[in-house]
Amino acid sequence: MKNRKVAKAIDAVLTHLVLIAVCFVFLFPCLWLILASFSKSGSIYSFEGFFPSAYSLDTFRTLFTDTEMYNYPRWFGNTLFIAGMSCLIGSLLVILTAYTMSRFQFRGKKFLMKTTLVLGMFPSFMGMIAVYIIMTQFGLINRMCGLILIYSAGAPMGYLTQKGFFDTISASIDEAARMDGATNFQIFFKINLPLSMPIIVYTAISSFTFPWSDFILPKLLLKEKDLYTVAVGLMSLGDTEFARFAAGSVFIGVPIVILYFALSRFFVSGMAAGAVKG
Amino acid sequence: MRAKGKGNSPAAMWRDGGRNVRLSMCLMGLGQLCYGQIGKGLLYLAVLALAAAYFVGRGFEDLIGLFTLGTQEANTWLGIEGDNSVIMLLMGLLAVAAAAFLGLCWSANVRDAYETQKRCERGGRPARFQEDFKALLDRKFYKTVLFLPILGVCVFHILPIVFMIAIAFTNYGGSIVPPKLVDWVGFDNFIQIATLSRFAPTFGRILLWNLVWAVVSTGLNYFAGLGLALLLNKDCVKGKAFWRAFPMLAYAVPGFITLLGFKFMFSYGGPINGIITGMGGRAVGFLDIDAKWIARAIGFAVNAWISVPSIMLLATGILANRDFSQMEAARIDGANAFQQFRHITLPFVLFSTTPVLISQFIGNFNNFGIFFFLRGGLYIDGYFLASDTDLLINWLYNLSINNNYYSIGATISLVIFLITSLLSLLIYTRSTSYREEDTFR
Repeated sequence: MKNRKVAKAIDAVLTHLVLIAVCFVFLFPCLWLILASFSKSGSIYSFEGFFPSAYSLDTFRTLFTDTEMYNYPRWFGNTLFIAGMSCLIGSLLVILTAYTMSRFQFRGKKFLMKTTLVLGMFPSFMGMIAVYIIMTQFGLINRMCGLILIYSAGAPMGYLTQKGFFDTISASIDEAARMDGATNFQIFFKINLPLSMPIIVYTAISSFTFPWSDFILPKLLLKEKDLYTVAVGLMSLGDTEFARFAAGSVFIGVPIVILYFALSRFFVSGMAAGAVKG
Repeated sequence: MRAKGKGNSPAAMWRDGGRNVRLSMCLMGLGQLCYGQIGKGLLYLAVLALAAAYFVGRGFEDLIGLFTLGTQEANTWLGIEGDNSVIMLLMGLLAVAAAAFLGLCWSANVRDAYETQKRCERGGRPARFQEDFKALLDRKFYKTVLFLPILGVCVFHILPIVFMIAIAFTNYGGSIVPPKLVDWVGFDNFIQIATLSRFAPTFGRILLWNLVWAVVSTGLNYFAGLGLALLLNKDCVKGKAFWRAFPMLAYAVPGFITLLGFKFMFSYGGPINGIITGMGGRAVGFLDIDAKWIARAIGFAVNAWISVPSIMLLATGILANRDFSQMEAARIDGANAFQQFRHITLPFVLFSTTPVLISQFIGNFNNFGIFFFLRGGLYIDGYFLASDTDLLINWLYNLSINNNYYSIGATISLVIFLITSLLSLLIYTRSTSYREEDTFR
């Protein structure tokens, strides 16, 4: 009996040691970046080991005032606009698609589902050359609305998580409403939509964060410096601009992190639902 | 709500259909007009007229252009404005899509006439225009709703993919770009990357490394994430939310920030080299041109840093749904912790996460970001426009976006698709979740 207690204690200590190590691994790079953004000199060469030798808010000030070479406020505005619009249109399309796929039986539904599954196997990046050429033809290069179009149009492909959620809302409510003479349109807007707040929040956040942190499409389609998003802009920073990079990253990273933590509940359940339903 | 079942084949409808159905088959909308459904009939006729105008105006030419890809090369000396093969290819595909759309409308129109006939036979009357319109908000709500998403997916997903597949069979790229004429070359590109050419050796090497990368990093991330979830799930761990917050932090930071941050960290002037030089050592080029395996190892580590948290979150959710009575029974029967894990927990988790495993595998196979950020733009001897850490997708990017080898790039993307889809199909059909449960409700 005593042996088991000792074994248990050793086990607990070991577990916590591993956990502390893991947490250190995850925390350290973030901490490094945050502290670097407050460095006084702004150059990575003046650091003592990992951390700056002196701290100040100067980097953030230059980030927003010294906009001649690197127009961070402009990038930020662009990103916000693109992500916001894509989120709005994309979420609407996803929710509607998922709801329909969950509630309606119709000819070609299985075909649609299988097609999306196969299409999902083409990584979105692979058609990029073609997208690039098509966008040139449509005259949507260097236009933010081109990006918004692509993001929103691609959104319904990821409807499975949301479909999983709608599958869990009992269809008997719908039946009752239909008895009372409601049309499918009314059933969706007056009954199911109010019941689906969690999944709407999840959808909105995830369709906001993807354009917010995507770099491939904007790099491909937005060639003018004035149209850069934050991701492309930060990528264009030179090696010597480390503190500016850190400050820029912290400024857009922190809101996203807070958002994730505040809504982590939805994310875990949403991901799990998507996983089980495949 | 269920749509009319089968048995509506064109032949059957011709046989059973009355005069009006046959009229609709001959001229779209005519049957509807004869039933007195003026609005709908005119609508169908208008679609037909538009389509006819398009095909006469340019559609037929576009269709022919799809086969020839242009016959007249531009010549500025003679002032000849030649054909642009790439645009002709694109327009040709659009013409095919338009033809398919017309076919769909036509079949919808026949089916509609047939339904009206059935309705009349049952003693009803043809639906009025408003009734049809109302049905779009009720019985046929799905049609209204799915129209936009399907259109978007067709234009921005399927069209590019088809376009890319088509390009893989042309010689577009290199020195052959418009205004020069592009031509169909059949399977030449596939033969080129598989056999003798400057592409073949690079392709073999990158493919091998890509497979190693996908398998190892998926396994690493998966078991690390699962292990972390199990660790956090232990009874002796108090304040689980606190511990979980750290991986969550890594999960929430946008990927490009992480990747650029790590690049700075391992750069010559970065803090790690700072410490090494501070201790009197020489700066190490972690991601430099000769750092093959060091760079690859850093790639694995950074990828784990990014992906492990999401798998941990997922596994946590799944572990919570475990059947605890089974564990209890096993414990009473004398199974130790490892046996419980091996025979109860692992099969259960594997069962629930097979789809995730597949998508992780595909995601890793096509992990563009990692080496694009860590070692982007590096070309190494022995590789054609690539480095020894580049995955196929990075090579594809170098070839097509940076160096204009469009057809080779498209061919490689087809090869990537074939590999990933075959592998995932294999994993999927062999997995328990496929055998024991139908994925589609």
